[in-house]
Amino acid sequence: MVNLTKLYAVGGQITRIVHEWCLTPIDTHLKRGFDKMENAWLIPLFPLLSFLLLLLIGKRLKEASAYVGILMTLASLVFSILVLLERFSEPTYLYRFDWLTIGEMHLTAGFEVNQLNALMLFIVSLVSFLVHTYSKGYMHGDERFHVFYAYLGLFTFAMLGLVISPNILQTYIFWELVGLGSFLLIGFYYYKEEAKAAAKKAFIMTRIGDVGLLIGMILLFWQTNSFEYSEIFKAVEAGAISNTMITLTAILIFIGAIGKSGQFPLHTWLPDAMEGPTPVSALIHAATMVAAGVYLVAALFPLFLASKTALMTVAVIGGFTAIFAASIGLVQTDIKRVLAYSTVSQLGYMMLALGSAGYVAGVFHLMTHAFFKALLFLAAGSVIHAVHTQNIEEMGGLWKKLKFTAPLFLIGTLAISGVPGLSGFFSKDEILVAAWEGGHPVLFLLALIAAFMTAFYMFRLFFMVFTGENRGKQTHVHESPSTMTLPMLLLGILAVVAGYVNTPWFGSFLGDWLTDGNPVLGHGHIEGPAWIMAAATIVSLAGILLAYLIYGKRSIAPDWLSGKGDMLHTVLYNKYYIDEFYQMTVVAFVTGFSYLLRFIDVFIVEGIIKGVTGIIQGLGKLGSKMQTGQVQTYGAVAFVGLAVLVVIYALTGGYLR
Amino acid sequence: MNLHAVLSLLVFSPLVGIIVLAILPKSQEIAIKAVGFLATLPPLALSLAVYAHYLAGKSLSDFSVSVPWIQFRGLQPDEPAYAVNYELAISGFQLLLVVLTSVVSTLAALGACRFIKKEWKGYFMLFLLLVTGMLGLFTAENMVLFFIFFEVTLIPTFFLIGKWGYFEKEKAAFSFLIYNGFGSAVLLIVIMILLAKTGTTNIVMLKEIIADPSVGLSADFKLGLFIALLIAFGVKLPIFPLHSWMLRVHVQAPPSVVMIHSGILLKIGAYGLIRFGMGIFPDQFKQLAVLLAILGVINLLYGAFLAFIQTDFKMVLAYSSISHMGIVLMGLAAMNEAGIQGAIFQVVSHGLISALLFFLVGVLYERTETSLIGNLGGLAKGMPLTAGFLLAAAMASLGLPGMSGFVSEFMAFLGLFKVEPWIAAVGSIGIIMTAVYLLRAVLGMTFGKAFRDFDGVLDLRGLELVPVLVLMLLIVLIGVYPSVLSSPLQATLETIMLGLGG
Amino acid sequence: MSSVPASAFLALALILFCIGLYGALTKRNTVIVLISIELMLNAVNINLVTFSKYGLSPSIDGQIFALFAMAVAAAEAAVGLAILMALYRNKKTVHIDEMNEMKH
Repeated sequence: MVNLTKLYAVGGQITRIVHEWCLTPIDTHLKRGFDKMENAWLIPLFPLLSFLLLLLIGKRLKEASAYVGILMTLASLVFSILVLLERFSEPTYLYRFDWLTIGEMHLTAGFEVNQLNALMLFIVSLVSFLVHTYSKGYMHGDERFHVFYAYLGLFTFAMLGLVISPNILQTYIFWELVGLGSFLLIGFYYYKEEAKAAAKKAFIMTRIGDVGLLIGMILLFWQTNSFEYSEIFKAVEAGAISNTMITLTAILIFIGAIGKSGQFPLHTWLPDAMEGPTPVSALIHAATMVAAGVYLVAALFPLFLASKTALMTVAVIGGFTAIFAASIGLVQTDIKRVLAYSTVSQLGYMMLALGSAGYVAGVFHLMTHAFFKALLFLAAGSVIHAVHTQNIEEMGGLWKKLKFTAPLFLIGTLAISGVPGLSGFFSKDEILVAAWEGGHPVLFLLALIAAFMTAFYMFRLFFMVFTGENRGKQTHVHESPSTMTLPMLLLGILAVVAGYVNTPWFGSFLGDWLTDGNPVLGHGHIEGPAWIMAAATIVSLAGILLAYLIYGKRSIAPDWLSGKGDMLHTVLYNKYYIDEFYQMTVVAFVTGFSYLLRFIDVFIVEGIIKGVTGIIQGLGKLGSKMQTGQVQTYGAVAFVGLAVLVVIYALTGGYLR
Repeated sequence: MNLHAVLSLLVFSPLVGIIVLAILPKSQEIAIKAVGFLATLPPLALSLAVYAHYLAGKSLSDFSVSVPWIQFRGLQPDEPAYAVNYELAISGFQLLLVVLTSVVSTLAALGACRFIKKEWKGYFMLFLLLVTGMLGLFTAENMVLFFIFFEVTLIPTFFLIGKWGYFEKEKAAFSFLIYNGFGSAVLLIVIMILLAKTGTTNIVMLKEIIADPSVGLSADFKLGLFIALLIAFGVKLPIFPLHSWMLRVHVQAPPSVVMIHSGILLKIGAYGLIRFGMGIFPDQFKQLAVLLAILGVINLLYGAFLAFIQTDFKMVLAYSSISHMGIVLMGLAAMNEAGIQGAIFQVVSHGLISALLFFLVGVLYERTETSLIGNLGGLAKGMPLTAGFLLAAAMASLGLPGMSGFVSEFMAFLGLFKVEPWIAAVGSIGIIMTAVYLLRAVLGMTFGKAFRDFDGVLDLRGLELVPVLVLMLLIVLIGVYPSVLSSPLQATLETIMLGLGG
Repeated sequence: MSSVPASAFLALALILFCIGLYGALTKRNTVIVLISIELMLNAVNINLVTFSKYGLSPSIDGQIFALFAMAVAAAEAAVGLAILMALYRNKKTVHIDEMNEMKH
């Protein structure tokens, strides 16, 4: 039978790959360099294995679970590095098999190693590995230690699966699984009401975006008859899709990215997601999941390029989010929330870059941001670990006590502020150039102001935490163990040097490589006027200086512009009341509508049914009333009936016709 | 072995259990439970054997059996003879449902051993009769036989609900009987008309006769018959506004009966619509496709919004069933391969997921004696396994990729977006709402602060884990490797698409 | 004998039947009701006999049937009176409008 052959074929293909790999003598493997790219599908499977293993036996392993997780992600990391190195010299590798048959249509699954995927594999597995290591110290003593590692494994699996998907359907599948992983991790402290609410919110907000992605993806499918990225790009290039359709699908897909990357107006879940353990924030809300939205837009970049409107939407949403989130970040007092808003803002930057056709700039910033933001979160985690509070007003003077964490935090802060020489400087510069050259002077200005704000609030954070007097109650402050500091050190180094792979001074290696063989993505480096770089530098230094004057030297009072109780401060502190706005509009509407439907269900639907049963009961009652027990009445009725029949018979002449 | 006897054996083997149970004295609790459970194993083994037969590449038509049963001549000498034969057969689609039925029955029998606290003898006898009815109706090849088995499922279910249910069990049972009795009366009328007009009720033959324009049935007449079928199966599915009976049954029936009811009995509606509606009246189906799509979306959203404000978790699940059946309708209304396959996937997938959810609800109720969301909370602490599986089942239900719910929803929407993008777009709000109401309910029960002390409460243990794990594995298997379902379906799909003329 | 036309017999039967019907439907005394029923039966018997003599194919069938009906009527009257006796013993009345135990 045909079906069976198909079934066997798929199974056979999988077995054959595994079989061949196992049967090949070891020296052939070495010669072929382990077929690194052909076996890239193994990379996500290691964390999956870790997840399944810990689910089954984690309870018995207790804290030894950490080793399972660390080992598995290390394997992924090693593989990813090998694949990345191989991808430098070899062409894209693509493998597919039939996953689902619908009549004549064959939906495939598989994996692809192109430049972007290889880079993402490396970033994700690196950060994940470091977070796994870090968590061993951070989560020490938690009674659900093994569960935490299991969830980490699941999340890493989903994220790695996401970045090697060769088609948008598979991307969507892993995209949702990533959502699940983040949901579980955010709600890890399930007994806290806040964590429960945050997890729910994160899942639902991203799902709203996901529906956009789903619709966009399905519409694209009926235009191109394929979910494959390559087929979609071919159809776009050949002009097989109408312009409106391209714009529509691109924007719908971008809605998915808005949800995942915490862009305005679906950003509210991201700061709340800080209820999860801090390593989770580093993994999910710095390097991986939130970057998935940016990755999606980058992966579908040719589609977006084909529609000016779609690009403009991306740029405007990105630019607006960048400054919007940065302004909220100015006044927050929770160390993780400041970082969360800074993440939202930085993601806005990346979107702005992509929307301005700066493919390289966006991906480049995605990479550098992953390093320095992960560093900042881990360092913040180290601070929280030491002082057991997240309120920066209860910290201060920690520089002397956290000799290791503090300088690393400073490196991260400098990098994100865009101080020359560090990674953030180069990538942010690229974005500013892209925005300027892309013809968005207003957005460029917004980005510049956002850069100023970023520098300001990051250093506000730094000065409030590490300098001045200790305002907290915690007296016994100690540095974190080495499992926590070593990952931070590695990230610190990367936060400094990662920028040099793509600079206007030493050549744009990363950009050239990313766009190699894909002229449609643009050049490796966009030439821009030199004043942009100078302006960016000045802006960031100005921000740092202002922060220093207010919170370091304290020569300017913190409330010189707007203090607590002022309207501006209140609005910013309450995040522009967006949550309240949603609560009053969307949530209220849904609840109200539900009650309306319940009214219909209880009164109208049930009412009609009650009516029908009522009529039948009434008829029955009437009938029983007519039964008086008077035999003579019955006889009379029967006789009248007979008489009527006879009359009808007489009138119609017999048979009823 | 004579393959023709396999289906009859499959259908009637639970009756052996009934005979054995009849001999056993009432007080032998363990023996009764054992017999009740074991009697579900022969159908399970046989249905798996049929599946294996299919996997081995052999034709499923080997199993068809047709024996002359009732025959009579018409009043006029030139009228054809009327024949109702005993005909059983199985196709890929039916095979899936038979396997689903036998798996869920076995697990529900296991569940019954746990949840049923009195009069096991009567319970298992009725239960096994119900199993026979379900298996028979999925393999019946003519409509009269289908109807007989259909009625065989009604009566045991009525007693199972009315005797072993919760507080308002009698009301729920009568509600069930009246609605479904009404539905089956309409169905009977359709069957009788078809028999009178065509002289046969064999589904394959009817398909040809109805499609043949030389047979004098006007288009309006056929449309009328189709609408009657739609009502008959709409009660079962259920389609808004014929759903209120099902809410009562979900809340009042014992968990092991709801597993069967929500898992399989509701699916008879979808099965009937596909087999008879779409199979025999394809043109009429096409005519009403837009209406069906709209009804589907209404079901989806109506169920979802109402599930959002329920205080009883069982009610949430009941409305969720309405909502999920809306997806079946939407998929069918798409009238293309993707949509129909999505609908069939949804039938199987929802069968597994709701059986799992109701089993877990049963476990919860047994331990905490409540299913009100407000009275639970923080269960993850005392019952981590139950809470974990509950969350996993909810995820499957809301269509998380990697589980069966996603594949079904995805294909249904894929199909509908091709033909009715606007209706589908409205329906996609349902995807969000599903996540909203399920998370609200499940997180309300498992996360957060414990409403009261659940210290003495036991987690899932021992044999209780079997149904949970089996169902979960099947759900994940279908989600990860959907070909297990899609490959047997291809032949059925081809036939349907041929009938639809596209 | 032959001078009496069939219509006269039929008219007699009709009058008898109507009197019987009137009595059966209106009289309160059960004994009278029973007697009225006998009248109706006899009207039917006259019809049977008439048609057996003047019908399309005259034969003895109708007269035999009338005899048969009489026998059955006699049995019926016996049973009816017996029931009436039992009722009277219980209710101390023979009024039919008070015998409404079988309502609802």
